[in-house]
Amino acid sequence: MKLAAPGRVELRIPRRAEFVRLARMTACTLAAQLDFTYDVMKDIELAVAEACTNAVEHVADESCDEVLVRFIVDGQQLVVEVVDHGQGFDPAAADEGAVGEGRIGGLGLLVIREVMDEVEITCDPETGTCVRMIKHRTRV
Amino acid sequence: MATPLEITSRVEGDQTAILSLAGELDVSNVAEAREAARKLLDDGCSRLVVDLASVTYTDSSGLGMLVGLLKRLRESGGAMAIAAPVPRVRRVLEITGLTQIFALCDDVAAALKEVRG
Repeated sequence: MKLAAPGRVELRIPRRAEFVRLARMTACTLAAQLDFTYDVMKDIELAVAEACTNAVEHVADESCDEVLVRFIVDGQQLVVEVVDHGQGFDPAAADEGAVGEGRIGGLGLLVIREVMDEVEITCDPETGTCVRMIKHRTRV
Repeated sequence: MATPLEITSRVEGDQTAILSLAGELDVSNVAEAREAARKLLDDGCSRLVVDLASVTYTDSSGLGMLVGLLKRLRESGGAMAIAAPVPRVRRVLEITGLTQIFALCDDVAAALKEVRG
């Protein structure tokens, strides 16, 4: 069964590590309904996990207790937005971060940029931090 | 509830340990794996093989743990090798450029040979 396009799925998860898997599973389930190959589906799963992990691990604001994962599908692409309302971060600084234990932000963003076609990160005090990722639905 | 991850280890007689993980390695369970590895090092193991043959998924959380272990072992003159990563795990290592840092081996036997020099 194919997902009707355009379509939208929204998932709100507690900002806790054990719920990142739920976002991953949702990404896989959704991507499987589209015309992505298995490898691309797993790449999308990975990107969603990295964005959610970043929200879980690197948001210091304790009042931010939820992460919104929004999937938007149309005929050309899958857009995934991972939004939290904690204090933002500087993606340029994160990219320069050293790879190491306890400092994975830069590594996660590197992974996202490698596996997705387009990535945009916005930080706004009012709307929070949004990692917006796009995968084109290129037919093989 | 954390993502299920099975962790087993075996210590051989020459300060060599094999840490075997099975399942999915992510932010929810990486601390367990890190703690198991640290215990091996704290107990005196200076050569570590991390067997990833049964790890079907990892993200940067798992990679961060592996990098941390490698750093600690190198600083103390030890050695570490990764055994049998499945294609999806190898892909994450390749994306991040970590294939150039880690010793990747086809199986545990080859990884043991690698860490023993």
